[in-house]
Amino acid sequence: MKHIIQGMSIKEVLSTIRGADGYFITNTARDLSQSDFKNRILLHTDLLAAPAREKARYLSLEITGGASIHVDILRKQVDPFLKLKLLREKMPDTMFQTLCRGVNLFGYRPYPQNVIRQTVREFAKYVDVWRVFDFLNHIPNMEAVFEEVQAAGKILEPSICFSTGPEHTNDYYLSKVAEIIEVTGEDILLCIKNHGGLGTPKRIGSLVKAIKDKFPDLVIHYHGHNTDGNDVGRITAAVLNGAEIVDAADHAFTGYYGPPPILTVIDTLKDYDKNPATVNVEAVIETSEVLRNEREHYDYFESQFKGFSPTVQIHKLPGGAMGSSFEQAVKGGFLDQMPRILHEELPKVQIELGNWWSVTPGSQIIWTTAVSNVLGGERYGNPSGDLKNLLLGKYGPFPFYQPADWIYEKVFGPDWQDILAKEGGREEIEDIDLDQERAALTKRLGTEPTEQQLVLYLQHPNDAVEFFKFEEEFGHVHVLPPSIFLRRGGYQVGETIHFKDHYGKEHIIEIGPKQLDKNEGKWNIYLNVDHQQRIYSFQEESAAAAAAKAPEISGKEIAELAQTGDMRAPFSANVCDIKVEEGQQVKAGDTLLIMEAMKMQTPVNSEVDGTVGEIYAELGQSLKAGDKLLQIEIA
Amino acid sequence: MKKKILIANRGEIALRIIRAVQELGYTAAAIYEKPDNEALHIRAADEAVCIGDGPRIDYLNIDKVIAAARKVGACAIHPGYGFLAENPAFAKACEDAGLIFIGPASEVIENLGNKVIAREIMAKANIPMVPGTSNLTAGEAGTAEAVEFGRKYGYPIMLKATSGGGGRGIRRIETEAELVESIPLARSEASAAFNDDRVYLEKVVLTPKHVEVQIIADKFGTVLHLGTRDCSIQRRNQKLVEIAPSLIKDQKLLDTICRTAVVAAKAADYTNAGTVEFLVDHEMNFYFMEINTRVQVEHTVSEMITGIDIVRTQIKLAMGKKLSFSQDDVQLRGHAIEMRINAEDPQNNFMPEGGKTVSVYRSPGGYGVRLDGFVYQGYKIPEVYDSLLVKLTVHGYSWNETVDRMRRCLNNFVIAGPKTTIPFYQNLVNDQDFQNGQFNTSYLDTHAHLFEYTDQRTEVNKIARLIAEIHFRQENPYAI
Repeated sequence: MKHIIQGMSIKEVLSTIRGADGYFITNTARDLSQSDFKNRILLHTDLLAAPAREKARYLSLEITGGASIHVDILRKQVDPFLKLKLLREKMPDTMFQTLCRGVNLFGYRPYPQNVIRQTVREFAKYVDVWRVFDFLNHIPNMEAVFEEVQAAGKILEPSICFSTGPEHTNDYYLSKVAEIIEVTGEDILLCIKNHGGLGTPKRIGSLVKAIKDKFPDLVIHYHGHNTDGNDVGRITAAVLNGAEIVDAADHAFTGYYGPPPILTVIDTLKDYDKNPATVNVEAVIETSEVLRNEREHYDYFESQFKGFSPTVQIHKLPGGAMGSSFEQAVKGGFLDQMPRILHEELPKVQIELGNWWSVTPGSQIIWTTAVSNVLGGERYGNPSGDLKNLLLGKYGPFPFYQPADWIYEKVFGPDWQDILAKEGGREEIEDIDLDQERAALTKRLGTEPTEQQLVLYLQHPNDAVEFFKFEEEFGHVHVLPPSIFLRRGGYQVGETIHFKDHYGKEHIIEIGPKQLDKNEGKWNIYLNVDHQQRIYSFQEESAAAAAAKAPEISGKEIAELAQTGDMRAPFSANVCDIKVEEGQQVKAGDTLLIMEAMKMQTPVNSEVDGTVGEIYAELGQSLKAGDKLLQIEIA
Repeated sequence: MKKKILIANRGEIALRIIRAVQELGYTAAAIYEKPDNEALHIRAADEAVCIGDGPRIDYLNIDKVIAAARKVGACAIHPGYGFLAENPAFAKACEDAGLIFIGPASEVIENLGNKVIAREIMAKANIPMVPGTSNLTAGEAGTAEAVEFGRKYGYPIMLKATSGGGGRGIRRIETEAELVESIPLARSEASAAFNDDRVYLEKVVLTPKHVEVQIIADKFGTVLHLGTRDCSIQRRNQKLVEIAPSLIKDQKLLDTICRTAVVAAKAADYTNAGTVEFLVDHEMNFYFMEINTRVQVEHTVSEMITGIDIVRTQIKLAMGKKLSFSQDDVQLRGHAIEMRINAEDPQNNFMPEGGKTVSVYRSPGGYGVRLDGFVYQGYKIPEVYDSLLVKLTVHGYSWNETVDRMRRCLNNFVIAGPKTTIPFYQNLVNDQDFQNGQFNTSYLDTHAHLFEYTDQRTEVNKIARLIAEIHFRQENPYAI
C-alpha cells in the first residue's frame, strides 16, 4: 500500500486515495483542543505526541487554523509559524491540515484581498491541506483562498457547511458542490463540514450518497462533532455511503464536543468490513498512552458543563463554540439563563436571521444576539456592529431568505430601508497598503518585522504586537510543560522545574521564597536559576491603586456622561480601533472608536457635536466599564 | 612596620595591583569615591579611604590622592592606568611629597606625553617614524606649513592635538580643502579639551597592524623587552582584543622591532614598565607611534607568555631594586589572547549599559584561563565610570589551541543583566580571518557580520522572569 506523505501533489494524493483499500483518517487535534479545551492544548503536548502520531499514518494532522492562531498568540504565547516548523521536524511525513474561514481567514470578519493572499502564501509554506469554508456557503467568499492554495501546489479541501431544517435539502447541497467544482475543478477533497454534529446517521449517509451519485469521482471528507454522542454513527454512515476520509481524535483527550475517538471509529467500521487504509493502530494507542498523563493539567479548560449535549440538535451551536459559550456564561454570571438561551432564544434567533450555518463568525453573531436578547430584556434592542453588517449583507447574501422587516426596523430604525439601499451588499474590502502596515509594525516593534510577523499582525494587530513583546521579554515559553505554564496559584517553595530551552540547553529553576520589602514597597521573588540565585522584584499593588482602576459607575451614568462629552467605556472590552485624533471636529453619531468584546466589535459613537480633546484610551488596551475613553469639548 | 602602598585607581586594575602588593607582603591601601563605596577593590584592600563624592573628579584630584597617601602612611603610590597614571604633575607631586611613584620619572612622562618632544627624542635616536610635522605655527603660517606637508606626502593625513592621546584629539583629513578648514576647528577643540591648542600633522599609514612592545627598565640602566603584542582589533582607536606575541611570521622583523623599542626607551631615559607602540604597514615597514608610560590594560597577555609578573616587577623596580633577570631569561612560550568584556551593546554602537545590575555572573575556569575582573552577582554598573567588567585572558601552546580555549570560555561565560561584548567575541573567534591571524586595524570595518547575532544566552533568564511573575501574582494570566 502506497502511503500518502507530505509533499505529494493533489493528483498523487487523489489517485492514492482512489486506489486504496479502505478509508483514511484525519487526526483532528486542533478541533479537539478548540472544542473541548478552549484551544489551550500546548505545543509542548503536541510535540510529545508527535513521534507516535507520525507513526500512526493519518491522512493528515489538523493542527492549525480556526481560532487556534489567535489563541496561540493571545494565550499560549507561541508563534503559529514556529509551532508548525517544530512539529515538522518531528513529523517529516504527515500532511498538516488547517481550517480557514475563507474571506474571514482565521478571524471573525472579512479581510482585504491582498491580506488574504499574503496570509495564505505564508502559511502554505507549512500547511499541506487547506479546509476552507464560509458560514453562508457563499462560494465567492472563498475564491481568493482557493486560488492561492492551488497556486502554491497544496491540497485544497473546499467545504459545504451542513445544517438541518426544511431548507437544508440534498438538492441544495448538490447545487453548492457543483458551484464549488465550477470554480476549483475536480482535483479537490470535498469536505462535508458538520461543525455542530447535526443530523442523524441516516441523514448524513443520504447526503454522502447523493453527492457520490452525482459526482462519483469526488473524494469526500466527512467532518463532524460528537456533541450529541453520536458522531461515530454519522461517520459510519458516511463511510458506508462512500466517504473516503473521516475526522477523529486521540482518545486520551476526547471530551464531549470535539471529534470522537479514532479507535472507536476503527472498531465500529471493522464489523462492516471497512478498514483504514494506512492507520497503524498500535501507534494510535501509543499516542494516547503518551498523552494521558498530560490531560490533568488542562482540567481547568474543560467545559464547565460535563456530559454530552444532545440538545445541540435544537440550539445548533458548533462544537468549537460550546466550551467558550459556557465559559462566558460562568464569567458573565448568567449560567442560570443558559437553558433559556440555548433551547428557546438561540433556535428562535437562528430561524429569524435566516437559518444558515451556525459557525464562525455567524455562530458568534447568533450567540451574542441571543444572549443580548435574553439579558438585555428587549429583543434586538442592543445590536452589535457585526449583526448590523450581517443584516446589510456585508458578509454575503442570505442563502434562503432575508430576516423579517421588523428586525431591520428594530436594528436600524424607521429609515432602515434607505440604509439598506444605500449601504447594503457584500462588502468589497479595499486592499490595504502592506508597506504602510509594515512601517506601522516596524514603529511599534522598534525593529523591522519578518514577513511572518507581518502576517500575524495583519490578522490580529494588537494581540500580535503584544505577543512579539511577550516573546522578547519572556522568550520561547513553549518549552514549558502544561503543569508549569498553566499552573494556577503560584508554585511551591522548593519546587524544581527542569526544561530544555528553545536552543537545546538544559536548565533547572528552583522556586525560592517570596519576601515583602516594606521600605521599598515591593515583593522580591527568589529563584535559583541554574544554581545561581536571582531576585525578581515586583511592585506591590496598593489597595488604593486597585480601586482607582475599577470605578463604580452605572450604565445610566455612562450614558449621562456621554451627553457631556465625557466618553466612557460602555462595557468591559478591548480598544481595537481609534477613529479620531485630538483636535478633530466630530458630530453626534460619528464613530469615535471601536471596542471589542467576546470577538464582537461595537462602535462607540459621539453623542454630541464638538472637538476631540484628550484621548485616554490606547490601542489594544483592555478597559472596564466606566473607564475614560476620551473627552469631547462640546461646540 | 610593613611597607604600605596606595593604589590610586579603581576597578579591575586596582584589584590587580592590590594582589601584587599583598603577594609582596606589603599593605594595600585603596581609595574610592562615593559611587564606588560597594566596590570590590575596597573589600580586597587592607584599608581604604573615601576621597570624595566624585564621580571621577576625586580620582583625578592630585591633592586628595596625595593627602590620602599621607593619611594612611603609604610610602608609594601605584597609579594603574587612566586617571592620573600619565599625568606628569601627579608624578611630580609624589616626588615632591617624598612618595615613590610607581612608574617612570615625571620628566620622562612629561616628555613622552608631549607628542612633538617625543618625536624629537626618537628622531635623534634614529627610530623610524611616520612622516610628520612639529607643532604647526600659529595662524596662517601654520596652515601654509600644513598645506606644504600635504602636497609632499599626499593624503590622507592625521591632524593631531599635541596634548591628545588614547584616541582623543585626532581627526583624519582626506583633502587639502578639508585640511585648511579643519585646522582652526581642531585648535579650538584641543584648547577646550586639553587646554592646549597646539596641533601637528602625521601621514596616515593605511590599514596597519598595531604592534607594541612591553618594556621593563630598572634605575641602573638595564632595559629589557617582554616581546610583542598585537592590538590591531580596535574600535575607533579603542582596543578590544589583544594578543601576544604578534602573529607576524617574520621573526627577524619582530626581533628588530623589539630591539628598536629598547633603544627608544633608553633614548627617553625610561624606567619602570612601559609600552612602545608601532604601526606596521603592508610592506612590513614599521613606524614608532608613542610610548605609554603606564601599565597597560593588556599587560596580562605578556605576563602569560613570559611568566613575568609585570606589576610585581614594577613595584620592586620603583623601590630601587635591580632587574633580577636578563634579556636571555625572557622566553616567550605559546600564545595569549585577552578580550575586554565590557558592559556595552556592540549592536548599538557599543552603547554602555551603565545603570543595569549584573543579575547572574558565572565565569569560566580551567586550564590556561585567567580572569581580571571586579564584578559580582548583584553589582550595579555605575554610569559614571568606564564599562569594562572583566578581562578574559587565555594562554595556549599554539595559536589554534588558544583560540579554541577562548571560544570555550566565551561559551561558558554567563553574564545576565547588562548586554555585553561576549556574543560579539563569540562571532570573532569563529571568524576565519581571526583564526588565521589575518587582521589589522580595519578589521571591524571589514567584518560587519561580527555584529550579527541573536542573544540566546538570556533565554533562561527570560523564562525565569515569567515563572517569577506567575509565582508573584499567584494568578496565571496565561491560564485563564
